[in-house]
Amino acid sequence: MSLIRLDNVYKIYNEGMDNQVNALDGVTLDIDAGEFIAIIGTSGSGKSTMMNILGCLDVPTRGEYYLDGVSVGERRPQELSELRSRRIGFIFQGYNLIPSLNVWQNVALPLTYQHVRADERRRRALEALDQVEIADKAESRPNQLSGGQQQRVAIARAMCTGSPVLMADEPTGALDSKTGAQVLALMRELNREKGTTVILITHDVGIAAQADRTVRVMDGRIVHDSLWDGILIPDLKVAAAR
Amino acid sequence: MNALMMALDSIREKKGRSFLTMLGIIIGVTAVLVLVALVSGYNADITAYYEKLGVNKVTVELTWYDQSRAEDVMGLLYAYGNGELSGMVTGVSPDQKTSKTVKYRSGSVDSSTIYFGSDQWADCNNYTLDSGRDILDYDIEGRSRVCVIGAYVADALFQYADPIGETIYLNGDPFVVVGTYYQKDGSGEDSMDNAVVVPYSLSRSLLGTGYLTSYTVKVGKSDDVDTVIGKLDSYLTGQIDSSVGTYTLTDGNAAMTASNDEMTSMSVVLGGIAGIALLVGGIGIMNIMLVTVTERTREIGIKKSIGAPRREIVTQFLVEAAILSGLGGLIGIGLGFLLSAVLGKAMYGLILFPSTLITVGAVCFSVVIGIVFGIYPAAKASNLQPVDALRAD
Repeated sequence: MSLIRLDNVYKIYNEGMDNQVNALDGVTLDIDAGEFIAIIGTSGSGKSTMMNILGCLDVPTRGEYYLDGVSVGERRPQELSELRSRRIGFIFQGYNLIPSLNVWQNVALPLTYQHVRADERRRRALEALDQVEIADKAESRPNQLSGGQQQRVAIARAMCTGSPVLMADEPTGALDSKTGAQVLALMRELNREKGTTVILITHDVGIAAQADRTVRVMDGRIVHDSLWDGILIPDLKVAAAR
Repeated sequence: MNALMMALDSIREKKGRSFLTMLGIIIGVTAVLVLVALVSGYNADITAYYEKLGVNKVTVELTWYDQSRAEDVMGLLYAYGNGELSGMVTGVSPDQKTSKTVKYRSGSVDSSTIYFGSDQWADCNNYTLDSGRDILDYDIEGRSRVCVIGAYVADALFQYADPIGETIYLNGDPFVVVGTYYQKDGSGEDSMDNAVVVPYSLSRSLLGTGYLTSYTVKVGKSDDVDTVIGKLDSYLTGQIDSSVGTYTLTDGNAAMTASNDEMTSMSVVLGGIAGIALLVGGIGIMNIMLVTVTERTREIGIKKSIGAPRREIVTQFLVEAAILSGLGGLIGIGLGFLLSAVLGKAMYGLILFPSTLITVGAVCFSVVIGIVFGIYPAAKASNLQPVDALRAD
């Protein structure tokens, strides 16, 4: 059983109306634990919608999403937030740190939602900051840090809960290439040492190339999956049959 | 605990705005406390006034249809009050007065109140003998031209000299001063200390009529007032022929009670108006919390994406609203105490403080208002979809 399974998933906006948009148009995808996978597509391809669904931020209109073999669509919002808290760490292009909290408080924030004790939260936050080599900035405010440093903090926040899945939405989009490379290297290290499943969402072919597996999305469908290289993937077979 | 710190942080970050938000609650709480304190001050003032006048007094007023057959009501009341009712009644006196100029040598008091009293007049009206003696039975029977003077008259005419035995003139009629009363009302010209008491039997020569129409029966305990009124009623019905005259009995305490009741209902109205101020303050809090939700949409999105449950978001906003209103309430209490003390001193010469009940009530009410008006913004925040919230700038 794979860690993540999208089974013929649709995400449809304005269904039945003139301006109906099929952001996801029947996507089937399996991701195993420990994979380092890139989902690549241009803007409007549906890759962000895919990330929202994979990250339990949104639910499919139709189709099933299984995380650890359990259907996500049947969960209530309370359970979805529980899932996000326990299973998924997020990294965003805009870092999304909370400006009113200092660095270690930002990192410790997800732990408060898991009811971890205060001193334990601080210990684990500092440990995570140490791993991304930014422990010396623990007391700083996010706006005192460079983009690369903020993204490291965001990674520390994503990993301090020990989540098995790391979702990264254009993590290097706002960084220069050198810093971007460092951030990618950090995620690779997490993947290798801790077995964290990394899902990288990007429009950049160069970034995607560093993943073990690339999935190309276009018009809400998967048009290429390097795991299936050389073989027509099911989606394309359907398309060809039309 | 965490929500508390975050709420305090966010209030601290926007001090000016938070203060303006609290202003409605501050004004509301201050108004409630000050109004209630001033009303209680007014009531204390009124009560003190009635106590100076003498409490537990029953006034008997008479109307004669046929003066030639008029009864000696004073005699009747005196006999009944000091006889059958002696356990409850402590004094009986006519309650008749006029105004005259009082002179002593070159000094004079222009309009002093002249009372026609019995030997129990002082007790009925809450005066205490300072020096000399009071009016006696003997004076009344013999129509002695003697008087007892109030503290203001004594001060004005005699300063530091001893008035006992001196002769003063009431509109030209000589009277010998036999006693003085202690000051009981601030001793101003308008006070109850500007008084001269003469034997009531002199009313015919001083007033031109022997028929007094008003009497005071003083009752020892307020609990007995109703019983005394009942007994007097049946007694007087038997004594006064209804074709000759009629009478009414009035409970003096009733006026004080009525006055206090009136003020209490007034305070309910005023409190209601102040309550509206609190309500408006609450709406102000709701408004600013809605703005805060919009401002923090992105933050809410981030928190939701990293696993914050709805409860967490709701709590954060509710706590912030409750702190805003509670803090406003506390500041309001401070101002309320200050203003009550200052205004109470200025208006009644009393240091007034709002009652504990009202104070605690006002704070609880303001916190409740914060929570009630925080519910809508908090619900709005917690219902944001994380995807939409993250997209916000």
